[in-house]
Amino acid sequence: MNVIEIKNLTKMYGKARGIEDVSFSVEEGEIFGFIGPNGAGKSTTIRTLLSLIYPTSGSATIFGKDIITAAPEIKKEIGYLPSEVFYYDNMKVMDLLKYSASFYKKDCTKRIRELADIMELDLTKKIDDLSLGNKKKVGIVQGLLHEPKLIILDEPTSGLDPLMQQKFFDLLEKENKKGATILFSSHILSEVQRLCDRVAIIKDGRIVTVEKISTLKENTYKKFKIETNSTIEKDLFKLDGVNQLEQDGSTISFLFRGNINAIMRKIAEIEIANLWIEEPNLEEIFMHYYEKEE
Amino acid sequence: MNMFLHELKAYRKSTLIWTVSLVAMVVLFLSMFPSFSKDAEEFKTLLEGFPAELRKAIGLSVDSIATLLGFFSYSFLYLKLAGAIQAMNLGTSILSKESREKTADFLLTKPVTRTQIVTSKLMAALVSLIFTNLVFIAATFVMASLVAGDEFNKEALFLIALSLFMIQLMFLALGILVSVIFPRIKSVISVSLGTVFGFFMLGMISSTTDDKALRYLTPFNYFDSAHITENLSYENSFLLTVVLFIIAAILASYYFYTKKDVHSV
Repeated sequence: MNVIEIKNLTKMYGKARGIEDVSFSVEEGEIFGFIGPNGAGKSTTIRTLLSLIYPTSGSATIFGKDIITAAPEIKKEIGYLPSEVFYYDNMKVMDLLKYSASFYKKDCTKRIRELADIMELDLTKKIDDLSLGNKKKVGIVQGLLHEPKLIILDEPTSGLDPLMQQKFFDLLEKENKKGATILFSSHILSEVQRLCDRVAIIKDGRIVTVEKISTLKENTYKKFKIETNSTIEKDLFKLDGVNQLEQDGSTISFLFRGNINAIMRKIAEIEIANLWIEEPNLEEIFMHYYEKEE
Repeated sequence: MNMFLHELKAYRKSTLIWTVSLVAMVVLFLSMFPSFSKDAEEFKTLLEGFPAELRKAIGLSVDSIATLLGFFSYSFLYLKLAGAIQAMNLGTSILSKESREKTADFLLTKPVTRTQIVTSKLMAALVSLIFTNLVFIAATFVMASLVAGDEFNKEALFLIALSLFMIQLMFLALGILVSVIFPRIKSVISVSLGTVFGFFMLGMISSTTDDKALRYLTPFNYFDSAHITENLSYENSFLLTVVLFIIAAILASYYFYTKKDVHSV
């Protein structure tokens, strides 16, 4: 069953593009990544799903119900964490969370304490006095306290230190195991790769592709940079799947796509001083998808 | 109900401050009445020296100024001004504060309709204003009996004092409408002060010209104290205008707010 189904969704801001003809669906129980550079339309799509803004054309359903007409009903089961969290400054953390819980007709006090424990959040502080990272934690607890069936995250990791990020991801994975579907928007490929099963890539308001992370990984380049002790013949690396082979003194760099073992065997044959293997950044992945389109 | 209580709490402090200020004003004005009425004849001669236009503009009526109702009506002009600012502030900020304080994402992703949000906020504003007016009217009556004993028409005083509430309702409705139509209000106080003072000046001008049509544009002149004192009622046509305006503004606010795109910060 599809938890989210988006059909030809278009949102224009006057004449400016928001998103155009976006269609994809998120299955129940999956962690779905939504990735693209800033301004590509990730937030526009998410805000439309939450009926914070209204589509120009097209439609979408969540839990099989229309996002506009059934909005309040749908939102009972949605937990949302915006990229920037802002709350009523003069409230205490606990009061804010209780206010948030009061919208859902169940007792969430125990769950609030549990989550606050995991995220190491002080419930007695005033929101005003919290740092950016701590405000983010309030957002996380606030988004999860009613045990939603669908968790929508819009660039959720900004402001969290790596340790907290780890805890947060663990938390998400636990929620997912309990049955929650997660829509995870980000411009950081590595976090999406870590968590998600499938991913939609958006660029300039349009969906470029929807793929399994595993397929995406196979299809994307890795960047190799090899420093050798002695100058070697660069043709050594002229293999299938190698691109942009360049040599600069004792360093050789190239992009590679394919079975990584082949390259590793080649590298093992020579004496190397240093080796870098990098994931391509997002821009490079887009380049890859653009090349494929042309 | 949770939203209503939350909003009520959020406006508790400002409602208390406005209420105390209004009460302080009415206490101050009415406490001057005994010394004023003692030397009424001298004051009258003095006031007659003012140009008639000025007297009209600031709501001075020489004939009635020496009576409690006349004196109260005169000071009431400034009470109306303060009350209108309170109501306009409340109306302008109650919906727009969510986007200004960037809490709209929080509230609008909760399982509530936008209509419910407007209703809760409207009710909270209404209760705040009712509280202010109850205290204000009580203070007015206590002060009036202290300075004038029993020698005034209680019904007329009540109707005049109650017209503060009518004017506040109008400015509340206007404020809400303004806040949903204009996409982003950076400073509530400049919008509300500007609007209220604009109407106040218009009211002064309209008082001097006796232009019938112009009076419909000046909420401050809708409830004429002289008319109330004489007839013990409001003028129907203006009462109707108030009611129609409030209904129209509130309905339009609901409409615009439910249709509006709520943009991220």
